[in-house]
Amino acid sequence: MSTTDQTTYNGPDGLAEEEREALEALLYRLADDELVVAERYIEWAVVAPTIESDIALTNIAQDELGHARLWYDLLADFGEDERTLVFERDPASFRHSTLVELPFEDGDWADAIVRSYLYDIAEQLRLEALAETSYLPLRDRVGKVLKEERYHREHAQNWLERLVTSDEGTENVQVAVDRLFPYALTLFEATEEADERFVEFGLQTRSLGEMREDWLDVVIPFLESLGVDVPEFDDAADLLPEKLGRDGEHTDTWPALHADMTHSYNELGRPEPEKIMDRDE
Amino acid sequence: MSTDFDLDIEPEPCRYPDYEERATRSFDDLPATGEHAEGVERAVWDALYEIQDPEMPVSIVDLGLIYDVAVEDGEATVEMTLTYTGCPARKMLLADLEAAAADVEGVEEATVHLVFTPEWSIDMVTEQGRADLREFGLSI
Repeated sequence: MSTTDQTTYNGPDGLAEEEREALEALLYRLADDELVVAERYIEWAVVAPTIESDIALTNIAQDELGHARLWYDLLADFGEDERTLVFERDPASFRHSTLVELPFEDGDWADAIVRSYLYDIAEQLRLEALAETSYLPLRDRVGKVLKEERYHREHAQNWLERLVTSDEGTENVQVAVDRLFPYALTLFEATEEADERFVEFGLQTRSLGEMREDWLDVVIPFLESLGVDVPEFDDAADLLPEKLGRDGEHTDTWPALHADMTHSYNELGRPEPEKIMDRDE
Repeated sequence: MSTDFDLDIEPEPCRYPDYEERATRSFDDLPATGEHAEGVERAVWDALYEIQDPEMPVSIVDLGLIYDVAVEDGEATVEMTLTYTGCPARKMLLADLEAAAADVEGVEEATVHLVFTPEWSIDMVTEQGRADLREFGLSI
């Protein structure tokens, strides 16, 4: 879709109420996904199967946290600062997909890899749909993030290819795909605020439905090429899990994860944890 | 988009950066080093030159992180990028930059904006930066 005749927005001031609402919804989905997926990845720090995989996954988590900050920055332009957006929000206001909040079974490395594969393909499609976004402060940041994401997909794909070289590995990947695939579909779920308006206002150049089709066209052939089956469906929507995340309805694993995520912040009770001492006068 | 680091820690009303101008601007001739800068802007570039990358002994200017410096009526505005988005020194660097720029005589207030287009790459490292990195033991 060409955006040449699309109005562009230089910042918060030029947005009508409805446009602002849609943009905020879009940014919360982006930022919360990145924050929460990173929060889960870092659980592998020190316990991944090898030192290298340990560093790789936590490094990916670091990237995703960096990306989350870029999106929270843009939300901060509407008033609330990063700290509030991350640490002081009502857990019920988070809009991440339930894919990223699910806990890992003990030692289930295949889950971490399958999850990052499903997520990172979706993220690539999403960023590509934002490359020409009408909101210019967002557009400024997309190219850089897209570039960093390439390594994430390479990492997940390389691992998947290695995991399926044994029967046991293939079985583990299969179990993870069966479990996670329906949750991954929630990434593309529309809500009242997040729907056709994304495209209508030029915030995104592909609709959620189109991106879901694009995603299915990538992940299904790839997984099948590895000898892994994807759940069958007539309409992908039939596979959706009960909790979508996008509408604020989360699985019962979210409150504990949120409590972990905010634990140190709450415990420290410092209004400015990054400031160690006052500057010399 | 910017930190609110203020030397005198005086509360100030929410001040939106000038999006109108910023969102549509492009940066030519990178890396920028302030080669032709004069007066207070020259002094701000000099102050920024003193700041090193937290991991390598190279000036952030020679690393190519500074896209622009402008001073108007005592207000310094620095446009800066990061080598990668997950940079853990982001807040520290932004605060250091704002403090360094604000310390310059003729500057009353300094703001640093993060920009990511064009994306930073190794091509943006200056000749001096390359020499410093080689000296440090990196092949570049």
